[in-house]
Amino acid sequence: MQTISTDVLVIGGGATGLGCVRDLAMRGMRAILVEKGDLTNGTTGRYHGLLHSGGRYVTKDPQSATECAHENAILRRIMPHCLEDTSGFFVITPWDDPSYGDIFAANCRKTEVPVQEISVAEMLRREPALNPQISRVFEVPDGSADSFLAAHTNALSARTYGAQILTYHRVVELIRTGDHVVAAVVEDLRTSERIYVECGFILNTAGAWAGQIAALAGVKVTVVPGKGTMVAMSHRMVNTVINRCKLPADGDIIVPVHTVAVIGTTDIHVPDPDVYGIEPHEVQLMLEEGEKLVPGFTQHRALRAWAGVRPLYKDQDVANDRDISRTYKLLDHQQRDGVDGIISMVGGKWTTYRLMAKDAVDTIAQRLGNTRACRTADEPMPVPDFEHRSGNHAGVGAEKLYWLGKPLAAVEEEHAYGDLICECELVSRARIHAAIASGASNLDDIRRDVRMGMGPCQGGWCIYRTTALLYEQRAQAAENASADRPAFDIEHANAAMLHFLQERWKGLTPVLWGDQLRQARLDELIYIHVLGAHRLISHAEQGGGLVTEER
Amino acid sequence: MEDINLTQTLDHCIKCNVCTSACPVAAVTDKFPGPKYVGPQAQRFRHAGQPVPDDSVDYCSGCRVCNEVCPTGVKIVELNARARAQIVAERGMPLRNRIISRAGVVGRLSSGPHAPLVNFGLSITPLRWVIEQVMQIHRDAPLPPASSYTFRSWFKKHQPVAGVRKQVVYYHGCSTQYYEPRVGQAAVAVLERNGYEVIVPKQGCCGLPLLSNGDFPAAKGRHMYNVDHLLPYVRRGIPVVGTSTSCTLTLKEEAPELLDLHSQDVRAVAAGTYDIFEFLRNLYEMGELDTNFLPIQRELPYHPPCQLRAHRIGRPVLDVLGLVPGLRLNESHAECCGIAGTYGLKKEKYQIGMDVGAKLFAFVKAANSDLALCDSETCRWQISHGTGVATKHPIEILAQAYGLQIADSR
Amino acid sequence: MNYDTIVIGAGIAGMLAAIGRAEAGERVLSLSKGHGATHWATGCLDLLDIGDSDPLAGIESVIALHPDHPYALAGIDAVESGAERLRAACESGGYPLVGSLRRNLQVPTAVGTLRTTCLVPVTMAAGDARQLPRQGDGSGPLLIAGFHELRDFFPPMVAANLRTLGFAAEAAYLQMPPHERTLDFSTVSLARLFDQPAFCADVGRQLRQLVQHGIYSRIGMPAVLGLANATQVVSDLQSAAGALIFEIPTLPVSVPGIRLYRALEATLLQAGGRIQIGSFVQRAEGKGKRLEAIYSEAAAREQRHYAARYVLATGGIAGGGVRADHAGVMIETALGLPLRTPNARADWFAVRFLSRSGHPVFRTGVAADAGLRPLDAVGHVVYENVAVAGSALAGCDPIREGALEGVAAATGWKAGRV
Repeated sequence: MQTISTDVLVIGGGATGLGCVRDLAMRGMRAILVEKGDLTNGTTGRYHGLLHSGGRYVTKDPQSATECAHENAILRRIMPHCLEDTSGFFVITPWDDPSYGDIFAANCRKTEVPVQEISVAEMLRREPALNPQISRVFEVPDGSADSFLAAHTNALSARTYGAQILTYHRVVELIRTGDHVVAAVVEDLRTSERIYVECGFILNTAGAWAGQIAALAGVKVTVVPGKGTMVAMSHRMVNTVINRCKLPADGDIIVPVHTVAVIGTTDIHVPDPDVYGIEPHEVQLMLEEGEKLVPGFTQHRALRAWAGVRPLYKDQDVANDRDISRTYKLLDHQQRDGVDGIISMVGGKWTTYRLMAKDAVDTIAQRLGNTRACRTADEPMPVPDFEHRSGNHAGVGAEKLYWLGKPLAAVEEEHAYGDLICECELVSRARIHAAIASGASNLDDIRRDVRMGMGPCQGGWCIYRTTALLYEQRAQAAENASADRPAFDIEHANAAMLHFLQERWKGLTPVLWGDQLRQARLDELIYIHVLGAHRLISHAEQGGGLVTEER
Repeated sequence: MEDINLTQTLDHCIKCNVCTSACPVAAVTDKFPGPKYVGPQAQRFRHAGQPVPDDSVDYCSGCRVCNEVCPTGVKIVELNARARAQIVAERGMPLRNRIISRAGVVGRLSSGPHAPLVNFGLSITPLRWVIEQVMQIHRDAPLPPASSYTFRSWFKKHQPVAGVRKQVVYYHGCSTQYYEPRVGQAAVAVLERNGYEVIVPKQGCCGLPLLSNGDFPAAKGRHMYNVDHLLPYVRRGIPVVGTSTSCTLTLKEEAPELLDLHSQDVRAVAAGTYDIFEFLRNLYEMGELDTNFLPIQRELPYHPPCQLRAHRIGRPVLDVLGLVPGLRLNESHAECCGIAGTYGLKKEKYQIGMDVGAKLFAFVKAANSDLALCDSETCRWQISHGTGVATKHPIEILAQAYGLQIADSR
Repeated sequence: MNYDTIVIGAGIAGMLAAIGRAEAGERVLSLSKGHGATHWATGCLDLLDIGDSDPLAGIESVIALHPDHPYALAGIDAVESGAERLRAACESGGYPLVGSLRRNLQVPTAVGTLRTTCLVPVTMAAGDARQLPRQGDGSGPLLIAGFHELRDFFPPMVAANLRTLGFAAEAAYLQMPPHERTLDFSTVSLARLFDQPAFCADVGRQLRQLVQHGIYSRIGMPAVLGLANATQVVSDLQSAAGALIFEIPTLPVSVPGIRLYRALEATLLQAGGRIQIGSFVQRAEGKGKRLEAIYSEAAAREQRHYAARYVLATGGIAGGGVRADHAGVMIETALGLPLRTPNARADWFAVRFLSRSGHPVFRTGVAADAGLRPLDAVGHVVYENVAVAGSALAGCDPIREGALEGVAAATGWKAGRV
């Protein structure tokens, strides 16, 4: 077994872990991050994409609200290309308590969440699809975020500072010497090779899996996976984040993110963060709630449904999950459990990831005697190669906030419309190649990088095209196979295509009716009748363990 | 299909690209990425509060072949037209477009006793070269000759038929009024022959060139003017009949849909507007059409224009002229003549228009006829330009079949 | 205007029905809302996916076992004569279909597996798997050639998968011949370029060089080898290259599909039929058991059509003839006929997308009797003067059964019998 040595091993490649590994590296500590899937495989890659203003927490969770308000401003400075300034409305519908409006506004002010009431006429001018029966509207600085891009951005920054990031590496053991955690055993899921990682500290940022990781160190951490289901609607009938102005409940938010409008969400306990499905009644609930905000919502085309699990840290009994504080918690296991060399960072939300990382790294830095200041709020991050750049490739720091038309403007500028691989999401061949060159090893990785397959046709054309490109690019590099990039042959390509087709299908069946059902039948015509992809199954069974687990 | 709003029809797109494969413009130029791309696909990236990110949408000619072949009912051309209007609202409209989209104004200035002088001027090559440099109107673009008298001036002197109970409103549009009054004369003669008193109320340009070039506020003004003046007749059950398939399409659908005008009045005028051959076909189906036709032993090429096919009423010209003994019309089955209203006049689009029309021109030339038929005025001028063959509105042949003389008094 | 028959839907089923009636002397109108599966499918005639054996015999078994199946409603005679009528229509367009109704063919796909079909255009005939070179059999290998600019066909993947099946296959990319179009090479735009002799000759020269270098015996190319003159284009390329050439169907838009449609369109126009595309039929007016009139969507109104007989060939879910709302209610969109469909939304789909048995929801359609007349839930005829054809019929998943064009041709031709 290979042995490597580092100062800090970060477990979990979601937003928190990536923020930590960047901060660690920037402060000069050696750091390695391991993630059992692709980056953002967990909650980070499955939420609705809201950049919180804090408005949702001003009443029940004021500390969270203030944290969000501050971090919102910071993130706009350091990763503008990942964020869209959609603004946000909190609206009082006929189904809401009209007196809550003033309470809401007052609580915003108390928690430093910028808020301004606007007229209903102004709301309708900006968002004509909204329910004209809405009686009051409060505007807040909500936005939407591309958490995949943010993850890659943090990773890119961390790597420039010397960190190592290992995806498809699962922690199978944490080694203790007495009450001190000294090392971890990590398995490369693609090759089954194991690595022994000696480290000064373990930073457990495994989110919904944090309890499982802590257990490996003999420490009890209770994280309740709270499943939330979301539905993406095929186009943005609203361009502003729309929140119901009331205490948080199911289906009370619509987030316009990239080309879709996401309505969410539910909150159902599941025992295992890796095992959950989407129930038809959840989808129906989303649509009904959507109808209250946007009359005629159900007539719009639903693109897909998916779910993620919130990592709800339980350190006391509460009646309702929504009462569990959404603020984060640093668990110093030496103080809490008498086990040294490991801390856990649990709870929280995407918007506050940087702050969570800072707190965690502050603690570790102190223990390791590192006195460098945290600069993660100050230094803007670089843009990954596979992403569009604003304007004409201006340097770092010149990036502007993402805007809806940006990909289209880029394609127009480059006259790249003849070279689009994913036409729905305007993904050019060059960007697919850049994603593969940056480490994407299967279609799901590529999807997360560049949104391939996320448009209305859900991969009808681009799954085939991308598979072929992946095969060509990786097969050409076959001679250079290494631990990072194991050998890739046609059977790996076939397996990647079949797996991705099945992954898309799982998120489609809950919303297949109307236009989307017709689309699914056309996609079936393509993959079965034209391509005969079903014939690939028999000799792709031994495709090699490279992809994320089946759900 | 459910009645959802125009933008929402983009949801119907299943990305099959049948539209792109049929688009006559994408077939001849790299400058137009195709209807799927600029329509339902790009629309997901457009935001009413942000600048329109794609200029390539301007190369859509608005021919509506995409709408025709789309299996799911995406209103592609309308999506494109709205994007273009947003560009115009953001950046303004070049002077050239502002001029050529005001067909009524241009017509009024060109027609009349001085028309021969205007026409002569527009036929002088050096002058056309200057106009091309200054105004970006292609030197060879088929600008129609203006008429020395207007249709309305003729109609004022026209003796109506006496003792007739049935009435119909004739919407002449700019082309008949300023360029081809004989088309209106033929229409009036045919309608009177069928027992109608023809009323020609106050009316203005339908506004289609303004819609196509993206000046929605001005187009709305035109449309509402026409609605106001046509409404009293429509409300009394008097139908509005037009010989320009573009104008009647605008009154029926394009103006209401693109401009989001859905009042009772607008709908009433739309529901009361007919293409003339559609109207005559309806008469035939009710047994009310005079079918005492003189035989016309001719075989003629006929092009159903894009703006007729967009009415989605089939081929009323073939249905009605098919009743004339001896007359055989051969349908072109070509997608588009290329002029697309004002599109093919523009310097940067003229050649695209001519390339688009090549298939139609070849068909007409191969027919070896000295006459071709087409129900749209701009298409007639383009067909003559591209083939050298005189092209008439089918209503003139129908008048001939009724034995009616059309005095084209100049 | 008076029509004897109005056909709703302009796919293979609708067009053959219209041709049958028109050739019997009727006045026929074909009404449709755009183009559908003809422009997406492979442009071949698939009868039944039972591997490399006798599809007619297979269909006879289906008929015996499943009396409700569209093949059973059509009858074996209509299967044969529908296929032959399709063949004849293509032949008269200079674009022959080859193959035998008694023996299926297996041909390569654009991922490099084999698909089962029965009749293929002559431009695909040399792709018959029985004739393709196998590894170690000593013959010159197969070359799969394409263009980088064409995003709908990738030679390396095709060749690699064919190799896993034991074929001797290699891949190469060709240079796009010089042309004033520099962007956006879609299947149709490439096909138009191949119709131009200079372009075709340039590709022929490149193929010749490759053949001389690699001793290839045959070359598989994306199905873009000409739109109007495909037969001539492939023949010219073969002469130039010195090797057999065959087309492999690509992602939509299907050029062979368009060729097939155009052959049918020409045949119908020749027979005096009228075609009106862009008209969506949205409601029916019946009186008792007679369909009196139908209404298609038009600008600012509906257009009324009436005929003595009607054919419904609207293509099921893919064609837009069947639509589901979010509550799971299915409707037949043109005439409002009753549908046979799986009972509940929970039963619509299999868990795996590529599951062999397919997804029950796609078997939704109109039930019909042996005269193809639509039936209601208790088996009574809804309209005496309506025939239902193609994927609009219940009881079959033509894509999964490998019978997409076969069902359309058989039932469409039967519906065309006066």
